[in-house]
Amino acid sequence: MSRWTKERVEEALTGPLSRRTFLKGMAAAGAMAVLPCGLLAPEAAGATESYGGGYTVFRNACPRNCYDTCAIKTYVQDGVAKFVEGAPESTFTRGGLCVKGNSYIRSTYSPDRIKYPMEQQGRGTGKWKRLTWDEAMDKIARKILAIKEQDGSLLGLGLTKYSGNFGITNYGVEGMMSSLGYTTRFVGTPCWPAGIDAQNFDMGSMWCNDPEDMVKSRYIIVWGANPAWCSVHSMKYLYAAREAGAKIVVIDPVFTQTAAKGDEYWQVATGTDGALALGMCRHILDREMYDKDWVAANSLGFEEFADYLRSNVTVDWAAKLSGLPAERIVAVAEEFAAARPATVWIGYGLQRHVNGGATVRAIDALVAMTGNIGKEGGGARYGHLQTWGFNYHAMVQKPPEGAVGFVGASGPKGEFDFAGGDKTVKHTDRAVNINKTAQEILDARNPPIRMLWASCKNVLSQDFDRPKMIEAFGKLEMVVVVDHFFNQTVEQADIVLPVTTCLEEWTVNVSYWHYWLALNEQAVKPLHEARSNIEIAAALSRRINELAPGSCTFPTEIDTREWMEAEFNKGIYDLFGLKSWEELRDGPVKAKLASSAAWHDRKFATPSKKYEFKSELCAKNGHEALPAYKEGRKAYDKLRLLTPHSKFSLHSQFQNLDWMEEFNPAPVVYIHPRTAEARGIRHGDAVRVFNKVGEEKLRAVLTANVPPDALLLYEAWFNGRKFNCQNLVDDTSADMGAFKTGAPGVAIHDQFADVARA
Amino acid sequence: MSHPDAALAALRDFFAAGSGAELERACARLATAGCVPPPEADEDLEYDFNRLFVGPGRLAAPPYASVYLETEPRLMGETTLLVRAVYHALGLASPRQSALPDDHLSLELDAALALRAAAGEADGPEMAALRRYFLAEHLGRWLPAFAARVREASPHPAVACAVSRLLDWLDHELSAVPEYGEYGRDERQRRCV
Ligand code: SF4
Repeated sequence: MSRWTKERVEEALTGPLSRRTFLKGMAAAGAMAVLPCGLLAPEAAGATESYGGGYTVFRNACPRNCYDTCAIKTYVQDGVAKFVEGAPESTFTRGGLCVKGNSYIRSTYSPDRIKYPMEQQGRGTGKWKRLTWDEAMDKIARKILAIKEQDGSLLGLGLTKYSGNFGITNYGVEGMMSSLGYTTRFVGTPCWPAGIDAQNFDMGSMWCNDPEDMVKSRYIIVWGANPAWCSVHSMKYLYAAREAGAKIVVIDPVFTQTAAKGDEYWQVATGTDGALALGMCRHILDREMYDKDWVAANSLGFEEFADYLRSNVTVDWAAKLSGLPAERIVAVAEEFAAARPATVWIGYGLQRHVNGGATVRAIDALVAMTGNIGKEGGGARYGHLQTWGFNYHAMVQKPPEGAVGFVGASGPKGEFDFAGGDKTVKHTDRAVNINKTAQEILDARNPPIRMLWASCKNVLSQDFDRPKMIEAFGKLEMVVVVDHFFNQTVEQADIVLPVTTCLEEWTVNVSYWHYWLALNEQAVKPLHEARSNIEIAAALSRRINELAPGSCTFPTEIDTREWMEAEFNKGIYDLFGLKSWEELRDGPVKAKLASSAAWHDRKFATPSKKYEFKSELCAKNGHEALPAYKEGRKAYDKLRLLTPHSKFSLHSQFQNLDWMEEFNPAPVVYIHPRTAEARGIRHGDAVRVFNKVGEEKLRAVLTANVPPDALLLYEAWFNGRKFNCQNLVDDTSADMGAFKTGAPGVAIHDQFADVARA
Repeated sequence: MSHPDAALAALRDFFAAGSGAELERACARLATAGCVPPPEADEDLEYDFNRLFVGPGRLAAPPYASVYLETEPRLMGETTLLVRAVYHALGLASPRQSALPDDHLSLELDAALALRAAAGEADGPEMAALRRYFLAEHLGRWLPAFAARVREASPHPAVACAVSRLLDWLDHELSAVPEYGEYGRDERQRRCV
């Protein structure tokens, strides 16, 4: 005799044939006449099948601050995203994602997501009350109006936003601020500004070759970058180049995964990369191996640069500073100069120093004097914004009639400031340095910064000098944080708002490295009560205009798909050979490039229209006109402290997921065995890392992969742990960045500390 | 509504609460089931309820079946879709869709109420099987694990009481629900051919 079983019921509920019989049986029993209850409702007649539908494929893009900006295919069944894969149509993404991108299902459906708007009764108390969206918007709107009433302007409202989500419509956060009036903006970038300025002085803009053309390189120096972790899709081009005979040299203070893949590895003394580059330049000059024709035709100031090298630089000097053998410097310099083409991948790590901009200029000079700029397979590769010419429809919003702002120096800018400055406007936002967020909050007067809105930004994890930040937060009257997960910034928030993940919103994405354009569709309906940044802006506008008509120009009702569409323009369509954005539903497309080489026509964007070894603009901005060596920061403690990116996170994102915790459960500090021995520290010991900023307690891992004079701990926050590398990093500025991004960079890797058994 | 149903509805509304006021009302109704309501304006209950079930932090005891029944804890898993299919079989659906995953405890208790309401003379073999399945194979498998996580997190007394009433209710239902019956005759005949 056969009985019902668990499996049989499940089969009856879900099997396409058995279900029909089962439902018929249920109907006969009168179950369909069940009274409507409290929460569930009678299913609408003809309701769509609830189970076992086919897959629908949606297009997404990874919007993180990552070189690769992968195009994603998301497979959705029954309204649930089941799995993701890299889009095969992109030759760059080529069907694969990294460990982070592969976790998007995991993050979207994590039980840990922030689900509802909530309000904390006292920052850091953990006493949270749930709010409806209306209640949350009401509280925020009233606070904004009170600030306007009190100060006569909205400069007391500060916005900090950076790279948590680079989807173009997310610039609507800036748009929301503009639509309220003139506010205080944390401007600049903690990421790459010194290098941006350096390349602007040398070439007139930051523009890199298509990374896919690295296959044509005959010599590749990966300098201060770790693509094996941070740009996994680029590695295949390095390998292909090597297959074709190229040599790969990796220069890094840390023996990274990329270093392990190179043909030659140089463990450079941290912060001396500029000397190393100049030493190579000097040798190439002495051997007359530089590209005389290129230099004569395309550059300005080479003779002065050569004079500088002859009188200030020797290979021995470079060897002494960098800690590398002179013979290898000479050999690699000769190989690099002889290879046609040769290229340098200039990483962001090496410019996070007080001499970072000068370092990038020195490396640029090495690539330029060997005639490798403007060549396919060559180039001083740093990044580009060539494909970012969107409308910034969400971002560009008008202030309300009569808005009062900051009168003085020009308003904020940033590397993604495409709006341009309108010189006729008297009032502006008040621009303050994002890399000194804590200090700026402490220092702001007339009016003080009373309220902080943080979106796409984990302030307490990514901004410098945490002890000072906590002090600064003490001055803020209201903190609003828009995020996915409960991190250390949410912990310090008054109001938290749940935001959509990339699978839940419409937007469009491009890369600052490759040349592909990808659509990001709403693959699934937002979970819980999450809303996209522009929907939040619309909701705020609705409420604040109810309370005080005319106080916000942001539309109060928006269709997020239409807003995505509104970012496209003829320039984008032409660049990518598109007639309509809808074509992106068939997959990402690549820009139609005249050449894969940046500066292929050698028409530089500098004042002289040449490559400027000598840049008066650079001098005018307070630096040396020549790419001269600049001293690093003087050590303020016994060991150097490095806090680079981990494999399991992108800045503060991803590490909190259980999949990452499985492999990387707790923060550790990496110490060279000799350094550890001198302090009686063994592998696995609990230790204290400390300096003038603060201290961190964590476990020691001994490895000769880090130099003896350095400690290394990865950035990012761990769920439920107090760990925060910003307890050990101060906010000292890098040399460059203010020219193009509005604020100098920050010397993240010019930090020092000591370690002891805890 | 009979007494056990009233208690079940109160439990449902307790776990569905979206504000302190709703929690308070649900607590008042749970008083008849022997849970002493917290003093008026006891905000600690709301804070604790949110710490356990709502957020914004990592939840001490997520009130979603899929967290306990999937190989890896998550939302909107196979479990969630099975629960949605159970609702469908009852002619019901959650109007909130992904805004509240189908296997949220409050919705499941609502479905349990519906199953009780549907019990009657005309109870066919399918309905009986579904009831057994939902109580024994579904709620019976995750509610004890859920309750254990709540207890480990030293909950507010009002939460502790609600959770123990939930287990009482489950025990009672499990003892009352008949074992699986025979599989439909028609089907069997077809199989024998
Ligand atoms: S983090 Fe980078 S490599 Fe990984 S999926 Fe996103 S864009 Fe691709």
